[in-house]
Amino acid sequence: MKPLIETKALAIGYSRDKILQKSIHFSLEKGQIICLMGQNGVGKTTFIKTLNNLLDPLGGQILIKNQPLEAYDRAVLAREVGLVLTDKPAATNLTVRELIGLGRYPYSNWLGRLSEEDKVAVERAIAQTKINYIADRLLSDLSDGQFQKAMIARALAQETDILILDEPVAHLDLNNKIEILLLLREIANTGKGILISTHDIQVSLQLSDLLWLFNFDSPPTSGMPEDLILNGDLEKALYLEHHAYDLIHHRLSIQPEGKVMKVTGDERMVFWTTQALEKNGFQIGDEGETILCHPSTWTYKGSSYNKLQELVRSINN
Amino acid sequence: MIAFALDVMLGSVSIPLSSVFSYFFSGSTNNSSWDIIISQFRVPKAVTAMSVGAALGVSGLQMQTLFRNPLAGPFVLGISSGAGLGVAITIFLGMQFGFLLELAGLSRNGLFVAAAGAGSLLVLIVILLASTRVKDTVSLLIVGLMFGTVTSAAVSLLQYFSQAENIQAFLFWSFGNLGGVSGSELMVLSSLTAVGLLGAMGLSKQLNVMLLGDRYAISLGLNLKRSRWLIILNTSILAGAATAFCGPIAFIGLAVPHIARMLFRTTNHLLLTPLVMMLGAFFLIVFDLLSQVPGSEISLPLNAITALFGGPFVIWMIMKKRTLNYS
Repeated sequence: MKPLIETKALAIGYSRDKILQKSIHFSLEKGQIICLMGQNGVGKTTFIKTLNNLLDPLGGQILIKNQPLEAYDRAVLAREVGLVLTDKPAATNLTVRELIGLGRYPYSNWLGRLSEEDKVAVERAIAQTKINYIADRLLSDLSDGQFQKAMIARALAQETDILILDEPVAHLDLNNKIEILLLLREIANTGKGILISTHDIQVSLQLSDLLWLFNFDSPPTSGMPEDLILNGDLEKALYLEHHAYDLIHHRLSIQPEGKVMKVTGDERMVFWTTQALEKNGFQIGDEGETILCHPSTWTYKGSSYNKLQELVRSINN
Repeated sequence: MIAFALDVMLGSVSIPLSSVFSYFFSGSTNNSSWDIIISQFRVPKAVTAMSVGAALGVSGLQMQTLFRNPLAGPFVLGISSGAGLGVAITIFLGMQFGFLLELAGLSRNGLFVAAAGAGSLLVLIVILLASTRVKDTVSLLIVGLMFGTVTSAAVSLLQYFSQAENIQAFLFWSFGNLGGVSGSELMVLSSLTAVGLLGAMGLSKQLNVMLLGDRYAISLGLNLKRSRWLIILNTSILAGAATAFCGPIAFIGLAVPHIARMLFRTTNHLLLTPLVMMLGAFFLIVFDLLSQVPGSEISLPLNAITALFGGPFVIWMIMKKRTLNYS
């Protein structure tokens, strides 16, 4: 199968003296979701801009459907690659439907009037992203989550085989994040190739078929997320070792040095009690004073507590 | 239509409405001096008002969208200052030279038109060159503003070193005047305006996609540099022609696009452009009417009227709607 995007020894950056990444050998195929990860300033946005011909590559080659990127006319490229950026549109007085209609720009006639076919594509994008209920609202009246869905719908209306999204779930709440991710999975299943730049580890691990990693001082790497965790590449790229982030449990591992406490009882209660104690500097072990967790209360040194806050205060005293 | 008829009716000599209608339907009012007034002055002036109003409104709309700035107007790139400099040079320095041209058959008025046209053309060329060099739109806006400041300063210097009567002549030009356009000049003005307005309709699609911001517009296949170039050229034809023939007429270009957006609640340029044309034409005719001071023989400077009545009107609209969305 021919890849949708293929980069060969690509080098990117803003100027020749400041190359951000070189020897990028990546490829994106139909139906794939790929997450692009790396620390701030490592060149993720630069890469995305370069892929969309907003910046010139500093070396190597980009092939879109086996054709060199520079051979594409802008208008033709707009039918192959759809973009969802972090920028908000300058106009806030547009309705969602009008915004999505602008996604038909590469297809509409010289006056920009939407044909029947264009309107069908707009309605299809609205249905696919399930934003019927806000289709006639103004952009200025949308929440961040709704706004992001509208922008994705706009890119869908563009009917491209490739979708590139820059930080699509940044500053969204968990609900919206999950909705957007499921939506992207559905879209990928229709045969599109999706590239997402993100800082969200959970998203990248659970959602993506492949990770592309950018590092500061070693060449970019690519692989299945689980492989990259097991060989340590992901931790290296995100510099997690330094901050003691536990990739298996998706949490910071704090090494407390205080008094040892023993926590037993209800499983859910034990989990959160342990976290609260560790945060407050206590070690958890099999010896030491015992805290007994009931389904909604705690017993410690004969007294009963209704809140962790009270419990922790009492242990501290 | 009504405003057009009223505008033809009223002036330093009032002509009854019935006569105006009979002139339009039968070609005569049975009063030969009225016939001359209508055909030689009133109709050309009303037509001038309409085309200038439409032209300035549309070029203001284009500049507001291009620069995504509600304060932009047709003169934001320095077109009126360029025209002003052209006129100032002819008035203050070129009187002897102008005398030669007058001998060659050019009227003083025609001379001003030529000078203003040359001035705005020069600014246009510089701005177009700058637009191919400058990367982002905001920088271009600043370049335009700076350019306007420099030309205005040059005009001030010229004024400082010139005689009172010349200053007065320049002041009269800067008041704006719809009445000085002769029949043949009107042909030039209205055909330039027609070209510009048609061009503006053709640019609506590109202006619409620009509402998304530069990067989205490019990703949707817009050739940003070319579109920017075309829009500036288009605006310059519209605003340049209007300013060359009628002086720098304020208010219309800045306010009419806002009024249209507030009244019709749309940002689609395909609708907005014709709406702004109509509103611009309507407002300038009304202002022209007001500047005649109906019922009297006085006529006031047009720019004073546009600002005097237009300013409070826009303030009132904003107060009523509480906000003003520029795009």
